Amino acid sequence: MKKLFPFLRSMRFGMILLVLVMLCSLAGSLVPQGEQAMTYVRAYGASAANVLIAVGITDIFHTWYFYLLEVLLCGNLVLCSLVRFPAARRLFPALKEHTKSAEPEIPFEPGQTEQAEAFLRRNHFRRDGNLWFKGAAGAYGSFGVHLSILVILVFGSLVLMTPRIQDETVMPEQTLTLEDGTAITCLSFHIEDETGKLDYASRLRVTSPDGKSVAEQEIRVNEPLRFGGYKVYQQTYGTAGRVHIRNSANNAEETLYLTEPCFLSIDGKNGIFFRALYPGYLEEEDGSYTLITSTSMGYPDPVYDVQSVTDGSAASVLAFPEETIQIGDVFFTFLLPAEYPGLRIKHVSPVLYGGLYFGFGLMVVALYLCFFLAPVCVRVEEEGFVLCSPKARDGLLISLQAALQDERPTGGQS
Amino acid sequence: MNVLLFAAIILYFAASVLQFAAVAAKKAPLHRVARILLLAGFAVHTAFTVWRGIAAGRLPLANQFEFASGFAWAAALLGFLLYLRLRQEGILTAAMPAAFLILSYAAFQPREIRELMPALRSTWFALHIGSAAFSYAAFAIAGGLGVSYLLRLRKGKEESDPQLKQLDYVGYRMVCLGFLLLTVVIFSGAIWAEQAWSSWWSWDPKETWALITWIFYAIYLHQRLRLRWQGRRMAVLAIVALVLVLFTFAGVNLLLPGLHSYASQ
Repeated sequence: MKKLFPFLRSMRFGMILLVLVMLCSLAGSLVPQGEQAMTYVRAYGASAANVLIAVGITDIFHTWYFYLLEVLLCGNLVLCSLVRFPAARRLFPALKEHTKSAEPEIPFEPGQTEQAEAFLRRNHFRRDGNLWFKGAAGAYGSFGVHLSILVILVFGSLVLMTPRIQDETVMPEQTLTLEDGTAITCLSFHIEDETGKLDYASRLRVTSPDGKSVAEQEIRVNEPLRFGGYKVYQQTYGTAGRVHIRNSANNAEETLYLTEPCFLSIDGKNGIFFRALYPGYLEEEDGSYTLITSTSMGYPDPVYDVQSVTDGSAASVLAFPEETIQIGDVFFTFLLPAEYPGLRIKHVSPVLYGGLYFGFGLMVVALYLCFFLAPVCVRVEEEGFVLCSPKARDGLLISLQAALQDERPTGGQS
Repeated sequence: MNVLLFAAIILYFAASVLQFAAVAAKKAPLHRVARILLLAGFAVHTAFTVWRGIAAGRLPLANQFEFASGFAWAAALLGFLLYLRLRQEGILTAAMPAAFLILSYAAFQPREIRELMPALRSTWFALHIGSAAFSYAAFAIAGGLGVSYLLRLRKGKEESDPQLKQLDYVGYRMVCLGFLLLTVVIFSGAIWAEQAWSSWWSWDPKETWALITWIFYAIYLHQRLRLRWQGRRMAVLAIVALVLVLFTFAGVNLLLPGLHSYASQ
């Protein structure tokens, strides 16, 4: 136990964990993730595929050992941070004391004291007698970086592992009601904007469960709608057939969207069975039609593949927009298809998001402190100077010596 | 306007050749001419980039050609700024061929100007891709300095040589800058992905390789700052890391399609 604890908080252990995470990531990027077993059999052969699946490389980022690596890395960072914080607090005062008591290590030539002081002033050092210093905050840089990784790992894992996501398609002018009563109405959807540029935008209206709060916004990729604890994303889009149904017996009318095969009937026996919507067709010389299945060009000549069902017998029919099929008293008029959005509705936890953003910000600031504001103390004496810094010594020494030679660095070399 | 692109490539090439000749012959006037050529190449490259930005009506960093061009531009700019500060010819010896090689790679990519796809129309676009270009440029210069360091060692210089120590230190500082910027790239990408696709992290190949690169540089920095590694070992690590950067930049687009596949178009 005496040896285990120092090892668990050691940099060596941290490095081992990072290398293992790196190797897992490498494997995860080279082997397709989360595919069907047959995909791996085709790609690598049966025996290799069996090994890959058994070891979990086919879904490596969700394996127990990858989670274990994350937990161990968190543990290493916690222990490391616990050790680093007191050390970071002590660093700057200790550096000052050490600089005060050390013997000048680099001698000055006559007149160089003023040059050195001018250099230190130019580089924003603060002065206390013959002691010059800067970068007190930088002492916390390394601690901050490690703490930020911990924060990001913890909050990032919680965000990724506890998603409350709902994917829904909402037809234009239809309303989707969520579990808590929040209502999302799709007012319109378009693929291209008025200039013809691809846009994929939905205009939504969201109403709170009590109806008191209403938000209306056009959403598109990069511009989700925020409302209460929800974020609504423009995720996908699709094309649906439309049919207008009129019952001449009672003059009832309704327009329905057709997205999947269904039987449209009033009495349950006679009606229209919708099979599919095709984007176009080719008319052959003999008058028959070849249906086009590719939707890459949109729906230039839409055609409905339906069956009319009357008294138990069915007949296949191709219906074109504006065409009406009558079954008994009911008139089915097929309309031009409509585009509709696929929405992703995500429940957002402000605490988790806040934690993650805090971790991101902390790491950038802490890295800056670590690299560009490292603590430095310099004592300038008549006979020479002392320069103490755990991280910035080499660089400052190069710059200072160059400044002493020529007021500015001139170390040109070939 | 392609003439500007090819003029920049030729000027970077001429600058690199003269710089190497100056190193071999130890002639300061050649260095001066090489610097002038680098500046001329940079000016022409800047003019080309500005023209392309105006023609496209956006920041010209949206596909593999534009990003590679931005990467080369950033390498030339960083190299020159760093040279102005430290007056170290070794920096330009690394930056000039880096700019030339990356811009030459760009010239082989499809160059037509395309409309920005909806997923890229974001306020995060400039920060995410701009910081990636500068991050890669810093790593490229660090890798170039690593090569330069090892070549000088082979020529018989000692690790204690002050010039080699400077090369070693500048390479390390370039890694610090690149690492900070790569962190910004990853975080801005995560925030952007959440805005666009609702997920911070998808283990997409580009994301994963950015993480692999980040971890490798984190190991580099720990070895440097904690274990006091310097010199030859750091140079080797910087070169290996540069290979990872280049794979993340170009190899992933070619070999590992994913959410960032538009970058290869």
